Amino acid sequence: MSKCEDILARMILYLDDELEAQECGNIRVHLAGCASCRASFDSERRLLENVRGCGPLHVAPPELRARVEKLVSDRPMARFAPPELRERIRRTVEHFGSRNPRLRFVRPAIAMAAVLAVAMFVGLWLLNRSNRGPILRGPSQFAMLAADTHQRHIRGQLPLELVSDVPEQISNWFAGKVPFAVKLPNYQESSGQEKTYRLEGARLVGFKNDYAAYVAYQMRTRPISLVVTSDKVAQPTDGEQIVAKGITFHYNSINGLKVLTWSDRGLTYALVSDLEERGQQSCVVCHQGVKDQDFIESLKPR
Amino acid sequence: MSTATFSQAALEHLDSLYGYALILTRDQTAAEDLVQETYLRAVRAFGQLMANSNLKSWLFVIMRNAWLNQLRHTRSGPRFVELDDENVESVYQNDRVNEDPHVVYLRKLEREQIRLAIADLPELYREIIVLRDLEGFSYQEIATMLSCPAGTVMSRLGRARAKLRRALVSWQPRAAARAV
Repeated sequence: MSKCEDILARMILYLDDELEAQECGNIRVHLAGCASCRASFDSERRLLENVRGCGPLHVAPPELRARVEKLVSDRPMARFAPPELRERIRRTVEHFGSRNPRLRFVRPAIAMAAVLAVAMFVGLWLLNRSNRGPILRGPSQFAMLAADTHQRHIRGQLPLELVSDVPEQISNWFAGKVPFAVKLPNYQESSGQEKTYRLEGARLVGFKNDYAAYVAYQMRTRPISLVVTSDKVAQPTDGEQIVAKGITFHYNSINGLKVLTWSDRGLTYALVSDLEERGQQSCVVCHQGVKDQDFIESLKPR
Repeated sequence: MSTATFSQAALEHLDSLYGYALILTRDQTAAEDLVQETYLRAVRAFGQLMANSNLKSWLFVIMRNAWLNQLRHTRSGPRFVELDDENVESVYQNDRVNEDPHVVYLRKLEREQIRLAIADLPELYREIIVLRDLEGFSYQEIATMLSCPAGTVMSRLGRARAKLRRALVSWQPRAAARAV
């Protein structure tokens, strides 16, 4: 990397005050002698100054200010000890622990007893586990979110942000809103088959400090939900596992809903419905083609 | 920090918190409720605030956590918000009165366009621009707030600014033509 490229790469860190003093000095020296970098720097700085100078974007309404002022002034007693008291107690406990020989003996004894108890518990658990068949653990957090989102949408608590039955329109709407690409297939159009389901629309749902994509369908008045996120955020690790087409599907029944979760090509999906068996018929929202019928059949309970 | 200092200092961040609540909820009433919930939680957890810690950053973290909690349990989902122009306008009433009225007008127009460009950004980008450029949090503080690595903050901020720049560049020629 040339000196100029290096400076340009670090310029934004400099403007954001994220560099050490020495690095700032190096950048200033370079800018003083390089007209080209100086021009880029000035342009970037102007943008940031303009953006930073346009705030605040909003002012709290006077009624809200009055409410908050009252809340803060009438506040109840804090439920937590203030920091000064916390520090005093810490010092007292440390002092007591180091001076009392009896306590010095008791603490390791308690720790050893605790280790033995944990070891016994783990041993019993392993023994019990070896006598059972494959373990079916509870549903994953992502599967729970999908089922909850499905139910709330049905109850009218999660209105769609985009109402559309055009897959491309929904795919485009998600662009820039979620940190991954969503591309809904349009099997019906390409296969020319009778419509067995209807695309309703989409919205964003919060999951682990980011957004997941939510798409709603209807199959003869029965709702189907598809929730998609990045496989870096969620991995379907629980439930009954069924392998089909090289993909491991995880099946859970949550509050009477059939939830299928799986990961494929960087994304993790959850499909929720109240359809029969494992709800495998809900897969037609993406797999409507005749050749996919075998795949759907393979998800049926044996 | 004494209780009186806490009350005074916490109230200084009310506008910032309200702005952030509008970004998160996209609804004025929900934003007001979220601000109130944030202060309520802050008041209850005041004892947990360590000496010399950043009160503003702490309040923002409380707000984000309260909002995530609401997302999981709320009965009504987020809706798009109509910005309250009257409130925004009042911010600029104290523009330096001694300046050339034309310059003041142009500056106001420019601020308005930047505001609109920020409002048009996708939510994740709008959030990061507000946290860094308007509220002045460091990369690390934002990373803590959003529970993501500082590298993610840097890359998301870079993309957000690039998008903002494109939006403003496409506006400038038209604005200049109007202003002349």
